[in-house]
Amino acid sequence: MSEPAVAASGLTKRFGDFTAVDHVSFEVEKGEIFGYLGANGAGKSTTIRMLTGLLAPTSGHGRVAGHDVATSPEAVKASIGYMSQRFSLYLDLPVVENLLFFGGAYGLSGTALRSRAEEMIELTGLHGLADATTGSLPGGVRQRLALACALLHRPGVVFLDEPTAGVDPVARRSFWRLIRELAAGGTTVFVTTHYLDEAEYCRRIGLMVDGRLVALDTPAALKRAFVPGLVLVARGRDLARAAPALLGREGIRAVTPFGAGLHIMVDPGRWTGEAVERALAGAGASGVRVESAEPSLEDVFLAVVDRGAKEAPAP
Amino acid sequence: MRERLRKALVRIGGMAAKETLHIRRDPRTLYLALGMPVLMLFLFGYGVSFDVDRVPIAVADLDRTESSRALVDALTASREMVSIGAASPGEAERLFRSGAALAVLVVPEGYARDVATGKRTRVQLLVDGADAVIANQLLAKADGLVRAETRRLAGPGLAGREPPLQVKVWTRYNPGARSALFMVPGLAAYLLAIGAVLLTALTVAGEWERGSMEQLFASPVGRLQIVLGKLLPYLVLGMLQLLLVLAFGVVAFDLPIRGDVALVFLVGLFFLVGMLGQGLLISVVAKNQLVATQAGALSAMLPSLLLSGMLVPIQNMPVPLQLLSRIVPARYLVQALRGVLLKGNGLDVLWPELAALAAFAVVILGIATARFQRRLA
Repeated sequence: MSEPAVAASGLTKRFGDFTAVDHVSFEVEKGEIFGYLGANGAGKSTTIRMLTGLLAPTSGHGRVAGHDVATSPEAVKASIGYMSQRFSLYLDLPVVENLLFFGGAYGLSGTALRSRAEEMIELTGLHGLADATTGSLPGGVRQRLALACALLHRPGVVFLDEPTAGVDPVARRSFWRLIRELAAGGTTVFVTTHYLDEAEYCRRIGLMVDGRLVALDTPAALKRAFVPGLVLVARGRDLARAAPALLGREGIRAVTPFGAGLHIMVDPGRWTGEAVERALAGAGASGVRVESAEPSLEDVFLAVVDRGAKEAPAP
Repeated sequence: MRERLRKALVRIGGMAAKETLHIRRDPRTLYLALGMPVLMLFLFGYGVSFDVDRVPIAVADLDRTESSRALVDALTASREMVSIGAASPGEAERLFRSGAALAVLVVPEGYARDVATGKRTRVQLLVDGADAVIANQLLAKADGLVRAETRRLAGPGLAGREPPLQVKVWTRYNPGARSALFMVPGLAAYLLAIGAVLLTALTVAGEWERGSMEQLFASPVGRLQIVLGKLLPYLVLGMLQLLLVLAFGVVAFDLPIRGDVALVFLVGLFFLVGMLGQGLLISVVAKNQLVATQAGALSAMLPSLLLSGMLVPIQNMPVPLQLLSRIVPARYLVQALRGVLLKGNGLDVLWPELAALAAFAVVILGIATARFQRRLA
């Protein structure tokens, strides 16, 4: 039985009166992509900072790659890769110098460092850009370079803190392809994001609300657990004007704008698609079409937030 | 153990190499470190001068004799004063206001006759006192020149006899009283302070601002290694600055190096370490480059300019400022450099200054590293 790559038990961080992370416990298996979701300020970054040895926990334990984060942060740091929120590269330096510098920071040197840097340039699709000034590259390329910098020393676990913030959708997709390849190769990936579509790529997801881990499971199981109702998608004109008429009616759980349409979560015993269509048309919308849909993680997220953090954390 | 040391050296070397790349890629840094010194040396060395040189004076020669012309020649021969031509005594005020002349020499009618008969006589020098420094030096010069002229005139009669009272001004160390010589050590302090404090504050604040400090803290690089690696290149740059300032002083102003050159660099090294510590402390306290720039420039520039004794002699300061200057490292650097360069002082005389510089460096680096260790990314 191998030890989990990351294990947190009762991990807590207080800043004065404010509890940023409140008794968080979970385990991440080797080679797993673990998504850590939550609004800004929910405690995602603070959790990562404790697990990477940057912040000492107020109480609780964290073990990463077999080392205790509180007692041997240096050993933790040497065996993980970390990509911080703004993937802080040196923009005035060429691509290859960023790689060489971070490689040196992890103790690589000489020909081993050079050949490893070239390997990472190939792996992350940066060929031909080695001598380009980092600042002249588009966000998506910089992001892959930042990942390459975090992977130079072949860490068993990588922590990515909002790695795709501010990157265009095409670049995000190719970045996630890299992440999946990495995990397939046995690297454990711990990633925070607030793009809920990306979270679908994760094997398991932890949801943070106000410092507490309120849900933890695979995306499919979370959907089953948190969105038991029927999810309907309504399209048509003047939907926004008609939406308030639905709110507060018995059996309507939530109405949220979704693109140009509406996501309506209903109690399947009380509402059908046709009934919602009629209700919207009656409230002033025209050309209304309603279809049932697969719940998205966004629905899960909203359901969790709606339910509030009053409930006890999920087991 | 050896592996740990090897990795530590690789990391410090890596930090230093990266920092050197930053410096090489940023023309502003190089300008600040090496261009500004040359510019400042030109400005201060040539522009800011307390020397009496070619001071324009007007002559109101009411006597118009050979003797009176001889007196005017005696005053202007050294080119410290230059005659701009004849004027009447009444024109003095107009000349001073327009700045055409800073002094008017009035030789009274009957000067030649009085001198010839050995009668006591008076010449007048009206001086524009607006610039007290020049006025004082002018009066002193004129006084000396007139005494010399008096001796020459009295010469035959006094042959073999010493005049009863003789004033002899003997300036040591800087016989021409050339301000450039006096200024170069002060400038060295000023430039080293600005370069070291400002550049360190900027580069470290940049790492915080960019977020790369967090990235570094999350790597196995120790904080002391970060500090060492980041500061080393600036120490080298500072020593280059000192070399540049010295070389410039020697070539352009005939700055003498009467003492041991090695001592000059030792003093400079101690001073620089303190300044790097000051820059580090500022960057840890200030959260961004803008604040760090301002705090760095002010804390480096003002003390080294005003309290170091570079422009204003420390003895002339009010007592509170004199006391304050005791904690300004630039003061000790200026003193020590003047000592080594102009007087040829050795370690036996210099050690108090060296000790003061070392004490400052140890204290400020201690505080800065302690705060750096505690601060979160």
